[in-house]
Amino acid sequence: MVTVDITADLNDEDETGFVWTFLDEARDPSLISPGAIVVAGDADAPAVAEVVDVVDKPAGKVVHLRLLPGVIEDYEALIRRALTSAS
Amino acid sequence: MNQDDLRPHVRDEQPPSDAVVVLRGGPDTVTKLAGHARRTNAAYCLDGEPVWGVSVFAALDDVGPASIDGLLAHRVVSYRLVHTPTIGSLVDAGFELLPTFRRPHFTLLLSSDAEHDLRRLLNALGLPQVNPYHGSRRR
Repeated sequence: MVTVDITADLNDEDETGFVWTFLDEARDPSLISPGAIVVAGDADAPAVAEVVDVVDKPAGKVVHLRLLPGVIEDYEALIRRALTSAS
Repeated sequence: MNQDDLRPHVRDEQPPSDAVVVLRGGPDTVTKLAGHARRTNAAYCLDGEPVWGVSVFAALDDVGPASIDGLLAHRVVSYRLVHTPTIGSLVDAGFELLPTFRRPHFTLLLSSDAEHDLRRLLNALGLPQVNPYHGSRRR
C-alpha cells in the first residue's frame, strides 16, 4: 500500500500541459515546493513526480506536477540497490 | 465565481468521429470520479456556470503522441489499468466531450456530481484494460 504525498488525478492537465491539483490535497503541504520529488496520484495509481510550481489561482493554490518516467517500483528498487551498495 | 472559466481553454477543432478511442487511467470508482469531478468543479466554471468533469485523452491520430500506443506509452503509462471507451459510446450514454487545453486532452462533462450521474459515467467508461506499456522498462 502506497501513501501518496499529494492526491491528484494524474489524468488532469491544464494549459501548462502539466498535471495539476490543489495544494490542500497534500498530506504535508510543506513538502510541496518547486523541485521537490513527491509521490502523487492515489493508492491505486501512484507515480513519482517533480513539483514544477505552486501558483495562486482564483480557487486556491494549484500545484503543477511533472510525472517522472518509470513506475514507483523502479524507484523503490533504485533506493534498495543504492542502500545495499553503501552498506 | 472563484473559478477560471474553461471556455477560453476550449480548442477550436472538428469533433472527433464516434469510433475514436478515449483513454482514462484507472481503475475508476464512483468515489474517485466524485473526487475528480469535484476538483474540476472547484477550479473551473463553464460560461460562468458550475461545471463537473473528468479528464480524458482521445486517440486522435494513428501514430505519434496522440495515438492509442503513444498515449498508453507516455501520457497514461503510470496507470496499470486504463479505461478505453469510444467517443460514440460516451455520447450514446449522454455525455459531452469538450476539447480542452492541449490536444488530445478532453474534459468529459457531467451534469452534476450526484451519485447516479457518477455511476452512469463509470458504466460508460467500461471495465479498465491492462496497459501493456506500464512497467515495461523493467521487463
